[in-house]
Amino acid sequence: MNSSETHSPKPPRPPVPVAVAVVGQFSWGLTTLFVLASACWAVLPYTGHMFAALVFLLAIVLAGTRWNRSAVLTMAVASALVWNFIFVPPRFTLHIESPQDVVMFVMFFIVALSMGHLTTRLREREAALERHHQEREQLLAEKHRAELLAEAETLHRTLLDSVSHELKTPISIIRTAIDGLGTENPFAREIETANRRLQRIVENFLEITRVESEAVKPRPEWCEATDVLDQATRTLKRELGAHPLKVSGFADLPLLMLDSRLLAQAVSNVLHNATLYAPMGTPIELSATLADEQLEVRVRDHGPGLPEDVDDRVFEKFYRTPGSPAGGTGLGLAISRGLMRALKGDITVRNHPEGGAEFTLHLPVKIRQSPEP
Amino acid sequence: MSKALIIDDETQMRRLLRMVLETRGHEVCEAADGQLGLQEAAFHRPDVVLLDLGLPGLSGIEVLKRLREWSDVPVLILSVRDQEAVKVEALEAGADDYVTKPFGTAELLARLNVIQRRRFTRQSPQITAGALVLDLLHHEATLEDAPLKLTPTEFALIKVLAEHAGRIVTQNQIIRQVWAGQSSDASEGLRVHINHLRKKLGETGPKIVNEPGIGYRLEAE
Repeated sequence: MNSSETHSPKPPRPPVPVAVAVVGQFSWGLTTLFVLASACWAVLPYTGHMFAALVFLLAIVLAGTRWNRSAVLTMAVASALVWNFIFVPPRFTLHIESPQDVVMFVMFFIVALSMGHLTTRLREREAALERHHQEREQLLAEKHRAELLAEAETLHRTLLDSVSHELKTPISIIRTAIDGLGTENPFAREIETANRRLQRIVENFLEITRVESEAVKPRPEWCEATDVLDQATRTLKRELGAHPLKVSGFADLPLLMLDSRLLAQAVSNVLHNATLYAPMGTPIELSATLADEQLEVRVRDHGPGLPEDVDDRVFEKFYRTPGSPAGGTGLGLAISRGLMRALKGDITVRNHPEGGAEFTLHLPVKIRQSPEP
Repeated sequence: MSKALIIDDETQMRRLLRMVLETRGHEVCEAADGQLGLQEAAFHRPDVVLLDLGLPGLSGIEVLKRLREWSDVPVLILSVRDQEAVKVEALEAGADDYVTKPFGTAELLARLNVIQRRRFTRQSPQITAGALVLDLLHHEATLEDAPLKLTPTEFALIKVLAEHAGRIVTQNQIIRQVWAGQSSDASEGLRVHINHLRKKLGETGPKIVNEPGIGYRLEAE
């Protein structure tokens, strides 16, 4: 009850010390009462019995500022009885003779109880206020911290945006200029190829920065798996020209709740990787399956597969398997892993038993079975 | 001859766009920032505006909003990647379409063509998008001259997309026109109906392309 409320404002204390504290307060209260009663008894001939009543009231008020309510109220009741029994004539009976003393006794009783009650309540209020104040300060401190974080994030984003703008503008200008030149000129074609490569590198560097600074925030919405497929292959038309793409499973899936842009980008990087490592003309298989609200997208190529000891290292930043073709940053797969983890999924790789590397991208999704039209 | 206004802070970009547009027979005027852009728009009354979103000072969005207070000139947004939220904001504020830098000239010109076409108001109660014909008078659709059965919602949906054929339509714009006043999870409903429509349109019909985080585009060609 009150004891725990008033004496453990912050974390709840173990129960035993509280009980001990309360018992301590009861005995302290009664001891104080005894001492005061003896003192008043000693000076009674000079002061009269009213003085003892005032001394008791003072003691109750003071006790109320320190002790818990039940102890103070007990003290109030006890002091009223003691005053009546010892000090009010006729002494050593609970009987009161004069009507004036009866009124005094009743008033004493009421004043003592209400004083005890009021002072302890005041103290409880104070404690509550104090607690409230502390909570407020804590909240303010937390808010301040959150603001600082948000500020850092905004600064980071602004910086990233401006770097992005500065790097992409020249690439964009070169692209438009080459389009103006026309692609008949073989030199223009070389510039175009280099420019595309440059664009991919810049985009990869920006993306890995975003992924690493956790600036990638998934925004899931209902989408069709075929949209993911469409987006993943859209920017790879040229590269996929040399590899027949065998797609399966996407059209059969229900509506999925996911950030299709991020997943498509992760798949796209893996596909691009496959087009780089598998020999020209070999097919790439892309399949999607759904089991227990887990979406799995598999990309399998018919290339040489991974060296025995490599496996997970291909997802490390800047890692390139021995004998990789020239060009490329070693970032594509690291970005894919970063994106999949941002989506609460992951990406793994193994060598397919029948040859070639097989990447599996998996993530949890909510699904909605669409009723047939 | 149509008049184009380019609002972009990159001198080289403006110069290149001017060359591209002039060889295609456009008359071109330029502005290096938003304030100048608005002045040029009021002075020259262009037939189409190319607006860069990343302008210094007055932002692209703000320029667009102020322009839309008095003009319905077609506006093509020039943006960089990863600005989906800003693109949606621009489209909802009245931009007609966008291209993402770096863009190919062919793509740019195709978009400009499509958004300028919308100026001509429809004279007949028929919309044609590739092999698909919508008869608005009788609420009937035909695909390669064969009748195509559509539910009322699907018809309303394909109508919105076909009216803007070749142009992006944001998810909210679709929902506002098809599910006006309904409070159910329209975004989910939209996906379901798009899914059904795609199945009905099959390989021969126009393609409904999703622009993630933004909306849909009906590709008729």
